[in-house]
Amino acid sequence: MKEDLTRRLALSALIVSITAIAVAYASAFCASGPPTWAAWLLALGIPLSLGAIMILGAARGGKGGGVGSLKLPFAFVIVVLAAGFCAALLLPATESATSGLWLGLPARAAIVIYGVGLLPAIVLPVAYALTFETQTLTAQDIERVRVFARAREIEQRELGERMPLDQSGRDDDTHAGDRQS
Amino acid sequence: MNLPAGFHALLQASLPSAAQPAVIAVGAVYFAVVIGISVWAARKTRTAADFFVAGKGIGLVALTVASVSVSVSGFAFIGGPGLIYAVGLGAMFIVLPASVTNVMGAWVLAKRLRLLGEARALMTIPDAIGARYRSPAAQGLAGVAMLFGIVGYMATNALAMGVVINSIFNVGLGWGIWIGMGITLAYSASGGILAGIYNDVFQGTLMAIASVLVFLFVLDFGGGLGAISQTILAADPAFLGPWGKMTPLAALSFFFVFSMGSLGQPQAVHKYYMLRDPLQLKWYPLLKTLGLILVLLLYFGVGVGVKAFVEGGRMAPLVSPDQATPSLLLNVTPIVLAALVFSGIAAATMSAANSFINIGAAVVMHDLPIAFGRRLRNELAWGRAVTVLIAVAAAITAQMSGSMVAFLGIFGWGLFASTLVPALAVGLNWQGATRAGAIMSIATGLIVTLALEIAAYNKAFTFPAGVTASAVALVLSFLVFFVVSWLTRRTAAASIDPDVRLVMEL
Repeated sequence: MKEDLTRRLALSALIVSITAIAVAYASAFCASGPPTWAAWLLALGIPLSLGAIMILGAARGGKGGGVGSLKLPFAFVIVVLAAGFCAALLLPATESATSGLWLGLPARAAIVIYGVGLLPAIVLPVAYALTFETQTLTAQDIERVRVFARAREIEQRELGERMPLDQSGRDDDTHAGDRQS
Repeated sequence: MNLPAGFHALLQASLPSAAQPAVIAVGAVYFAVVIGISVWAARKTRTAADFFVAGKGIGLVALTVASVSVSVSGFAFIGGPGLIYAVGLGAMFIVLPASVTNVMGAWVLAKRLRLLGEARALMTIPDAIGARYRSPAAQGLAGVAMLFGIVGYMATNALAMGVVINSIFNVGLGWGIWIGMGITLAYSASGGILAGIYNDVFQGTLMAIASVLVFLFVLDFGGGLGAISQTILAADPAFLGPWGKMTPLAALSFFFVFSMGSLGQPQAVHKYYMLRDPLQLKWYPLLKTLGLILVLLLYFGVGVGVKAFVEGGRMAPLVSPDQATPSLLLNVTPIVLAALVFSGIAAATMSAANSFINIGAAVVMHDLPIAFGRRLRNELAWGRAVTVLIAVAAAITAQMSGSMVAFLGIFGWGLFASTLVPALAVGLNWQGATRAGAIMSIATGLIVTLALEIAAYNKAFTFPAGVTASAVALVLSFLVFFVVSWLTRRTAAASIDPDVRLVMEL
């Protein structure tokens, strides 16, 4: 079953990132404890997995599919999360009574709390709202689903079925295409 | 998972008595409003669809506030601040995912679940899995997995309710459990999800107000966030490191489980069915993210503030980290603010319990009969009866030993995540996913979570630092889902009905 390029790329990224996270966890079972690279795998794997599943969800199928102008916010959130985690891992622990503060917090904590915890919270929901009609859902989409639903209802009534899906207790192995209304 | 150290704070502990006239009065007003809303909702509930999905008739603002309310349990008010006090900013990695989870849920699930609800008369999350894979078996297995998680969550919330009500009214823990569960049951059984939603709106609003006021009070009392940080840095600089006193692996593991895992939490994603107009989804992530940030201000503010006040000698050292919020409220803040927060905590536990009662009842009287090829004739009557059974069972379970109840609550989040995220969240967006992949993934999540958590509870096995049963089960469930779907890819096309395919392509 062929899916469009965006979804295939997103799915590949999801598989790669989940595998990286699995390797990080597996490495923690070493007798000598988790190696230092385990945290790096999580720091990169988590942003990639979240970005990938968001792209998979946002991509529309068929002609004109893909994520359109959402490319930028998705790239932004993956980069911000990865940069935040990596900065926290890379920067030296210099917190002390004389540390300079960024908006009331030491630098590394500020990067995580404001960068990871607040920036995506501002950018992503706004991007979602701004692209909603072009990328997510339109009145025409809803009407197409309702037309299908009405056709299915008629078909079921004709077949004398009473339940919303095959509820015989057995999985339905009939090819879905055979039942297309 | 590591979370329980804080998560069951509310249970095992012993909140100090707050039974002062102002606290009792605010608590009494709170319960009176809950009862009033419930009576109103009961009069409007006439069908099973009203009972389980509010007749798909909830407006945007109500749904958003209700969703915020069920996303936050008593943990955000008691256990969470206590965890920050104990381990520093690393505990923030539990709540930082809120910056992405709401919009991620909207992109991955909201549209497709809402449109599936439009295409078919779906009421539950297992319904969506059954429809996606044309599989009553997958639907039933998802229902069974959810029941395991619900048992745990219900017992912990029942006990948490008992602890809070005992603290407010001084009635004893046992009576606290029965009073709290009795009131929750009354509105769940009579008004179903409609009563739940509008009580959630009231409770969520109360929680947000209480959280913001406490946060502002802490900033004012501490002289601003900069002064609070400087006090802590002088005494314990590691506390304000990005990972706090946790390892990077442990903190990042929290982030993974609580971000990706959010896509499998039925109490939150089930709400997508209920929105009156699907086009209103446009503003849902923005409003919910703002709401969650407000409610979580207390989590950060109290955890960090109390640490500074103790280090600066303005508060006595805590007997245990769990006492961070109660000690601040009863010794430092004005009593009216304390009263509001205690009612807010009761609200958080009741809201969560109501939601799980409703979801559990739907699994028992809707999903399991479908899996066995049966359909109950009067779903509304059965729904009410099962609601009573679940609530009574939870109240009885909550009387068991604290550690057993805490254990039951431990795996709730992780179990939902590992059993539902791949099959539901990925499955609704990837046409190559197969029925066999979904069933094997759900089974893997269920078996691995239960086996690892039971082994850890019985001390037969100890996880390396930073690794949790939830995280291991979640990644294994993902990998099994991908591998089995690939191995059975020839059957992928047969797993999707035309209307479901349309919903997946939009």
